[in-house]
Amino acid sequence: MKNLKLTERLGLVSYRNQSKSEIKPHIVVDTDVCNSTCPHKCTTWVCPANCYTMDDNDQVHFQVEDCIECGTCMYACDQGAVDWNFPDPEIGRGVTWNFG
Amino acid sequence: MDEKFDCIVIGGGVAGLAAAMTLARNNMKFLLIERGEFAGSKNVSGGVLWGSDLAKLVPNYWEEEDGGWERFINHRRLTLMDEQSAFTIDFKSSHFNETPYTGVVVLRSKFDNWLSGKVQEAIDASDYAMDSFIATNIKVDEVIMENDKAVGIRTGEDEFHADSVIIAEGVNNLLTRQVGLQDKYVPADHMLTGIKEIIRFDQEVLEQKFQLNGLSGMSNEFVGSATDGVEGGGFLYTNRDTISLGLVLSIKDMREKKKSPHDVLNHFKTHPAIADIIKDGEVVEYSAHVVSSGDSRVMPKELYKDGILLAGESANLLMNAGKAIQGMDYAMRSGILAAETIVKAKEKGDFSSATLKEYRSAMDQSYVMKDINGFQDAVHLLHTETMQQKVPNLLCDFGRQFFTIKNEPTPKSKDMLKGAVKRHASFWELAKLGFKAGKSL
Repeated sequence: MKNLKLTERLGLVSYRNQSKSEIKPHIVVDTDVCNSTCPHKCTTWVCPANCYTMDDNDQVHFQVEDCIECGTCMYACDQGAVDWNFPDPEIGRGVTWNFG
Repeated sequence: MDEKFDCIVIGGGVAGLAAAMTLARNNMKFLLIERGEFAGSKNVSGGVLWGSDLAKLVPNYWEEEDGGWERFINHRRLTLMDEQSAFTIDFKSSHFNETPYTGVVVLRSKFDNWLSGKVQEAIDASDYAMDSFIATNIKVDEVIMENDKAVGIRTGEDEFHADSVIIAEGVNNLLTRQVGLQDKYVPADHMLTGIKEIIRFDQEVLEQKFQLNGLSGMSNEFVGSATDGVEGGGFLYTNRDTISLGLVLSIKDMREKKKSPHDVLNHFKTHPAIADIIKDGEVVEYSAHVVSSGDSRVMPKELYKDGILLAGESANLLMNAGKAIQGMDYAMRSGILAAETIVKAKEKGDFSSATLKEYRSAMDQSYVMKDINGFQDAVHLLHTETMQQKVPNLLCDFGRQFFTIKNEPTPKSKDMLKGAVKRHASFWELAKLGFKAGKSL
């Protein structure tokens, strides 16, 4: 079996409130911390949904849309940059698992 | 819903539903709050529900035509891997065909939803059929504390009041932290990320592939190169017409070794032993869920305080001591014991820690805390480099020699073993390991 790309894997996830253009992010990341004092920027590789990315200038960016609510970043970030919460059922993103 | 509940249960997972079922059966007036669309919609596990407690909650559940579970386990495998080989301990027994089963594979979106239907039936049969509720799509923002005692919960602008709160919110235990039972920041040290794919097959193909009969199922755990050098392990469980294939990977180790969980999963899936199994399957879901290692150092300071009890993964009740990954059964038992404590508290009219501490003693006397406390050394041992890499490598090396038939004189097995040990570890290391394993297991 051919391995799926991460984007294909995430394409199988049922996200909530997808019809809404504006959603309230359930995770707020202070990327200033990532891009100034963080010695590792590990969220850019430990996140299973690749919500944290690094650009060509090694700057960390975060998007919440693909988040599958696992919580990995909350533990992995030891720099206090990740403010993690559960998504709001009405105006947040987050998932509804079909299998779970 | 102005009046006060006996109890508010936060979270419709295994722990919360087990608590709710027990409360309903004991004629308690309660509110179960679930933030997902339905119970189970936010939940992910490997996963096997080990033990037979499910039969306490839903007697004769196996007689139901299409219950919430997938398959019962009568075939166990533990595989040690190097890059090319897989050395497996395999045990199958019709002894495990007897009910109540000692392990059932579940998919949480289906299982928890089914179990919540059973809880609703129990509510309907209770004295509070019109006053106890399962409420979905509600996120609890805060446990309301008055004089350091829980008196209810707040969601947005709304408040609900109760004599007690059972927190069964899961591993990302924000409310547990809010009430001060766990530190605000939980470091990565004893936390792992579980990731998995659900892979679908034609049901007959799947049953033949894994030699399943009726609703029998197989569980397979993996150590060694499955995790590509990251501390952790792999798993494969058979569902009705899918398999759950995944890994549990130390977050701290991924951070240090710069490994991505999805890359490690790809590595696992291309191992020859796995690739041959999954080759004609179709991936239908990709998911992730954090778990604790079972190291008691990551457990909350206490399991109770005035008006509050913690159940399931909120209290990081999960353990892998090498034999199985146990979490859902701990959740179920702790949910039951928490609810039983609430029932006693209501009889006494006292929901303070003076009564709720009985939950702690009930837990300490149960297999959950006995096992967690009794197998700490095994948890530590499992996470050593010797167990994670050296033992799988040397066993596979030995296996390769032992099972190779060449048209030349065959060395004695003990010499093969000696060679394998020397190449991957040392006798001293193995002697130490054997001693530790003998003591800890």
